[in-house]
Amino acid sequence: MKFKLKNFISKNTSFISTVPAVLWQVLFLYIPLVLVVYMSLQRYTGAAFFDLTFSHYYALLTSSYAYIIVRSAMIALGVTLFCLVLAYPVAYFLALRTSERWKNILLFLLTLPFWTNFLILIYSWVFVLDQNGLINTILLRLGIIQEPLHMIYNIYAIFIVMIYYYLPFMMMPLYTILEKIQHEVLEASMDLGATHWQTFRRITVPLSMSGIKTGVFLVFVPAFGEFAIPAIIGGGQQMFVGSLISHYFLVTRDNQLGAAFTIISGVVLITCALFFNWLCKVPLQTVQKEMES
Amino acid sequence: MKNIASYFLPVCVALLYLFLYLPIFVLIIFSFNNNAFTQSWTSFTTHWYADLFDTAELWDALKNSLIVACSSVALSLTLGSTLIFFGSRFIVQRLLFLFYGSLAMPEIVLAVGLLSLFSFLSVSLGATTLIIGHTLLGLGYVIPILHGRFVELDVNLIEASYDLGATKQQTFFKVVLPLLAPALIAAGLLVFIISLDDFIISFFCAGASVQTLPLYIFAVIRTGASPLINALSTIMLMVSSILVLILSFLQVKKIRGQR
Repeated sequence: MKFKLKNFISKNTSFISTVPAVLWQVLFLYIPLVLVVYMSLQRYTGAAFFDLTFSHYYALLTSSYAYIIVRSAMIALGVTLFCLVLAYPVAYFLALRTSERWKNILLFLLTLPFWTNFLILIYSWVFVLDQNGLINTILLRLGIIQEPLHMIYNIYAIFIVMIYYYLPFMMMPLYTILEKIQHEVLEASMDLGATHWQTFRRITVPLSMSGIKTGVFLVFVPAFGEFAIPAIIGGGQQMFVGSLISHYFLVTRDNQLGAAFTIISGVVLITCALFFNWLCKVPLQTVQKEMES
Repeated sequence: MKNIASYFLPVCVALLYLFLYLPIFVLIIFSFNNNAFTQSWTSFTTHWYADLFDTAELWDALKNSLIVACSSVALSLTLGSTLIFFGSRFIVQRLLFLFYGSLAMPEIVLAVGLLSLFSFLSVSLGATTLIIGHTLLGLGYVIPILHGRFVELDVNLIEASYDLGATKQQTFFKVVLPLLAPALIAAGLLVFIISLDDFIISFFCAGASVQTLPLYIFAVIRTGASPLINALSTIMLMVSSILVLILSFLQVKKIRGQR
């Protein structure tokens, strides 16, 4: 019997080796997801197994909480667009317009936040935006304002800090893709009589499209489920998708509503991602069509 | 006109870096502020740094964080390398998509799923559940990295090893492992950092008994900040920048060595 088992193992090593990791992934990622879907349909904790209902979805979709999902999506979209617009020129400069030495220094400074605890990065903004913070102190000393401005614990503060936190996530993929563009391609375009703007629109942007896509996903997905930034900078006042999910699961222990809310937000997120994926294909196709005609 | 255009990009870069680093500098300056209650400057002091050493809670949190991070690195590397190195390529290729799932979802969804599973199985939350969560997070990075390198590996080298009479184990330890060591180290380091830095999964899966460093920081920030956190942040910033410097220095050396 023992011999048989050993024989079986040695014959099927390659199959058996795939089991632990796959099992881990299925047990701790996919089964929990199914469980969340099931919970969202469960009438209450400890209800009979087949006692299922859509009432939680109905309750959420007709309440003002649906508005929170829309607001989170809009804020995540705004943050993503700002990050893209701010990061693109800088990534372009780093990748194509600077000396090796400066490039290394600037890249080092860019990767540093990745290695730093993100709560600290977020917290550092308290000292800039607070009533006695840097901006208010400077403005008061200069006599521009007489009373300190209320800049923290509101939606604008959250917005700024989210842009701040996610900028490196947009920069990195943009830089990586722009660095691969050969100078010759850009020079050829200019030699053939294209203006700077034409070269940028027709050559640089299409070539960097995959980097833009990666960057947008890296920012949009976590920004949508943001939890820590509103908790620290928003003073816990502004409810976001992430804040509300944790509120349901950890504070009110209303797991069924929380699960339903998680599923609804997940569906919204996937829809946004698919829409964006479709959107990315459009400019490429128009450029191709222009080239063909 | 041309002059203005040529200054446009460098000015953008300078402003962006100012935006990235100004808050950090302010944070560091205020770690030397001798005033516990407001954010206005009184006088220079270093006693917050001294106080750090007397905060037992902090050291406990650091210890927990290191335990969880090391275990997650070990577990995810073991699971990942078993799958990639020994698994049949046919199966691995077809199952690879399973491991991208954890990257495509917001972390809070993973956290909610894990919490539901643990409460469904009535597992009490603690260090074990944290390690499970962080390993799941780590696998999402380890497997794509290792797979990428393994596919690039020269198959001839492995076949040559078999032809020369090496067993499967010998081939693994003497040929495959040394070739993949850089990928393993990179993946391990990444998982270590991710685990050490993770907040959301820890927040959901740690329970009341275990506190990690990010959870400690969050708790202190929330209950009204103390300059202790500034001092701690400054030290952590120093440690991470030194680590990054060493890493980039090693890389530069390696590249020069190759030339």
